[in-house]
Amino acid sequence: MKTRFLNAVAVLIALVVIFPIYWMVLVAVKPPGEIQSLHQRPWTVRPSLAAFRRVLTADDFGRYLLNSVLVALVVVVLSGLLAFLAAVAVTRFRFRFRATMLVLFLVAQMVPVEALTIPLFFLFRDLGATVPGIGLNTLGSLIVVHTGFTLPFAIWMLRGFVAAVPSELDEAAQLDGASQFTILWRILFPLVAPGLAATSVFSFIAAWNDFLFARTFIISATGNQTLPMALLVFFKPDENDWGGIMAASTLMTVPVLVFFLLVRRRLVAGLGGAVKD
Amino acid sequence: MKVRLAATAALALALTACAPSTSSPSSTPSDGGAKTGTLKVWLFDEPNRAPKEKVVNQAIAEFTAAHPGTKVDLQYIAVETRSEKFKGAFNDPAGAPDVVEYGNTDLPEYAAAGGLADVGPIVANWAEGSGLSADAKATATYQGTLLGVPWYLGVRALFYRTDIFSSLGLKAPTSIAELTTDAHTIRSRQPSLYGIAVGGQYTYAAMPFVWDAGGDITSINSPQSRAGLKAYTDLIAPDNCPPQNCADLTGGKTVDLFASGKAAMGILGNFNRAAVDAGVAKGKYAVVPLPGSKPGSIAPAFAGGNNLGIMRNSRRPALAADFLTLLAGQKYQTAMYDAMGNLPTLKPAGDAVAAKDPFLKPFLDAIAAGTRFVPLNPGWGKVDSGAVLPTMIEKVATGKATVDQATDEAAAQIKADLG
Amino acid sequence: MAGRTPLWLLLPAVVVLGALFGYPMWQLGLLSVLDFRQAQVSGGQPTHFVGGANYGTLFGNGQFWSVLVATVVFAAACVVATMVVGAGLAVLLTRVSRVPRLLLSLAAMAAWAVPAISGSTVWAFLFDTDLGLVDQVLGLHGYNWFYDRYTGFALVGAVVVWHSFPFVMVTLYAGIEAIPKSILEAASIDGAGTWRTFWRIMVPALRPVLTIVVIQSIIWDFKVFTQIYVMTRGGGLAGQNLTLNVWAYQQAFASSEYGLGAAIGVVMTVILLVVTLFYLRALRRSGEPL
Repeated sequence: MKTRFLNAVAVLIALVVIFPIYWMVLVAVKPPGEIQSLHQRPWTVRPSLAAFRRVLTADDFGRYLLNSVLVALVVVVLSGLLAFLAAVAVTRFRFRFRATMLVLFLVAQMVPVEALTIPLFFLFRDLGATVPGIGLNTLGSLIVVHTGFTLPFAIWMLRGFVAAVPSELDEAAQLDGASQFTILWRILFPLVAPGLAATSVFSFIAAWNDFLFARTFIISATGNQTLPMALLVFFKPDENDWGGIMAASTLMTVPVLVFFLLVRRRLVAGLGGAVKD
Repeated sequence: MKVRLAATAALALALTACAPSTSSPSSTPSDGGAKTGTLKVWLFDEPNRAPKEKVVNQAIAEFTAAHPGTKVDLQYIAVETRSEKFKGAFNDPAGAPDVVEYGNTDLPEYAAAGGLADVGPIVANWAEGSGLSADAKATATYQGTLLGVPWYLGVRALFYRTDIFSSLGLKAPTSIAELTTDAHTIRSRQPSLYGIAVGGQYTYAAMPFVWDAGGDITSINSPQSRAGLKAYTDLIAPDNCPPQNCADLTGGKTVDLFASGKAAMGILGNFNRAAVDAGVAKGKYAVVPLPGSKPGSIAPAFAGGNNLGIMRNSRRPALAADFLTLLAGQKYQTAMYDAMGNLPTLKPAGDAVAAKDPFLKPFLDAIAAGTRFVPLNPGWGKVDSGAVLPTMIEKVATGKATVDQATDEAAAQIKADLG
Repeated sequence: MAGRTPLWLLLPAVVVLGALFGYPMWQLGLLSVLDFRQAQVSGGQPTHFVGGANYGTLFGNGQFWSVLVATVVFAAACVVATMVVGAGLAVLLTRVSRVPRLLLSLAAMAAWAVPAISGSTVWAFLFDTDLGLVDQVLGLHGYNWFYDRYTGFALVGAVVVWHSFPFVMVTLYAGIEAIPKSILEAASIDGAGTWRTFWRIMVPALRPVLTIVVIQSIIWDFKVFTQIYVMTRGGGLAGQNLTLNVWAYQQAFASSEYGLGAAIGVVMTVILLVVTLFYLRALRRSGEPL
């Protein structure tokens, strides 16, 4: 009886949570006359793909999508890898300034990003002169900057997962003569992998949804634009193109959902690992 | 070990560069630069870009045919991100374009940054250049230097519903007082309607009232400015457009209200025609210039619009000038009107489109009566982004401050920002 | 593996973070004491040292203090609401059947996946004065949710919570699942109710996760930008819904006042750092080492 009541509550909450997303998709497929209406209906009998067609005719849509996916995936891998190494360092070792370092990792997230864009702009302009491939106007610059911005959080998350692996495991391996490298890759990595799935979600979303760095760094190389930049032209609430805004939003949300579904099982299993500190 | 070395090197590199980086200003090649190669052009993206694209592509084809060995690399930039793009282009000349489209209210900021080239000599030597009015040129001039060619204008006028006006026996208002009484009549006879849709965030609808009264943005707490502001904020009241609904409206929302039939009048631009025709107001409205306080007069309209300019860092200024004068010429201004409804800035082009389309007459009348502009000062960007004027209007409309208090506060802020 | 400083493990992360943050943060501090605007960036005008003038401008501005207070209260409310909703739903997830659990977690993940700009836009549209479904269904014709400062903040807060509770819910749910069943069963045999079990068993077990979740929420909610900017059209009626980040954007970044913007950035960082250190110290007092 009690479970049935709780089930009903859970389903009701799920409906409330999902409703704005339903509305987003609905408005995207509604014909214009039904959107600018003083009598909104929560369904439509004449769905139209006109708004999607308008959004998808942004030239080179496929290329922008590919750029965005590429940046997001490389960031996920790089940030996960670097964070894994650093997380092992801060949990398995005691060294001076360890706690200070952990706090410093957080400080970076406290600065308003707009304040950092100007120094970063010059940093990448100058870097580009010495290291080709990560200067302005390259996808490399976006990969580097997002790797940096997702690292602190990833390290903090993974710290819990590494700590959850009993240290007796690697001590035993060390006695058996395994090298540090072997311990890292053969013992710790597989056990922490679910945790990496969890942090990858954050890195993916951060890199995927970014407007700020994409608009600051990709000045003139049209071929290196990312998807949100191409869709930004529709986000003009003052022009009342609700259909266009919602269609663009839907298109931006779908890839993240796909990524979510891919890592979902590992995500829930993985996040639990962080508890047994 | 190798990694550690590289890191040390990177660190050393970072530490030696202590002072904030800046760009060293580079100068335009005095010989006009290369006559061949790739010309980079930035134009604004639009939600419905296809017609604009078609016209521009036609111009590019004509240009490359006349200039063998050249290529035009055209990029559409989102209005939303223009600020970062332009700053980026000023700071990194390597990625900068040659010819740019920019909003005329952004001019002081770009000019102060030293990003735009003087096009005065180009316009002086351009046969069609004489078709630009002084008012139009003023919107592209900063401290005496012409930094662009006005490409098109957007002007607002009074849209009103002919069906509602005739059913209530009203005529198009010829003064602000008449407009106000008409609005009250409509609201009292048909309480579901707003007489005229006005908004607290719609600065470009409020300013004509101030300018008409003899005030200005730089003297917003003068008695004239206060009188004009009061005439506008008095409209944000329960007997026309209640503060609860209208105090925070933007220009776009008032278009929405007029188009969806919720308002009997609205101060809309020539560029809003398509939006209005998509709503229930289609075919049931007419347009007159926004009247001033003196019967029969026209309130000065805000001369919004976009200019075409040449970047100071351009490596091909002569080629850029040729492309600019082609695209800004009568042929393509007229074509842009047909494609996007952009109001031409060249008088012959304006006359040509007005002859074809009577809808334009009230807007051109408003232009002929004289237009006004925002202060040409790099601090204007700060007044604008700090929402100084909307905050002032909203404070009065919601009763949070009196006209005197709100204008004094705004005047102090404007003075500080404009320096 | 314990022993000397594990340089080779830390180095890659430290190099990336050092380059991306160390250097720009140093520049940020430097900019905050300079007169630095777009003209200086482009090299059109020389920079010059202005000492504490940017900070003076900031602290002398009455609006800064009122916006700061609003930001702190709003962020605190959002953090508390996010934690309560997230934790409540996490506990709920452990007590419902498979299908409702799947539905709720999928719905939450969808909300998580929606970009902030899209989520804010669609919520604003749902609560629109004229075209909004909510006003039409509730019969509140022409009711403007953003006319009143507090309903405006409440609605924006709801969207912030909608965007951020899934992270808390999923994290805590996974944490609860990882607590050995035997412990939870023992508690229920001892007659402990849901409330007691939550506080006595779940919270202590979840502490490491809670630490990072709370810190992240504080940082995110203190810096909330998109939801305010989109939903209240840049800060609400006469700026009544401004938060620090939006205010900083309007006052400094949108008009290229980098010196002033850097000063605001430094002040915000210091405030957040103090709050975080305070929180970490409180944790250490209660026996939770970093």
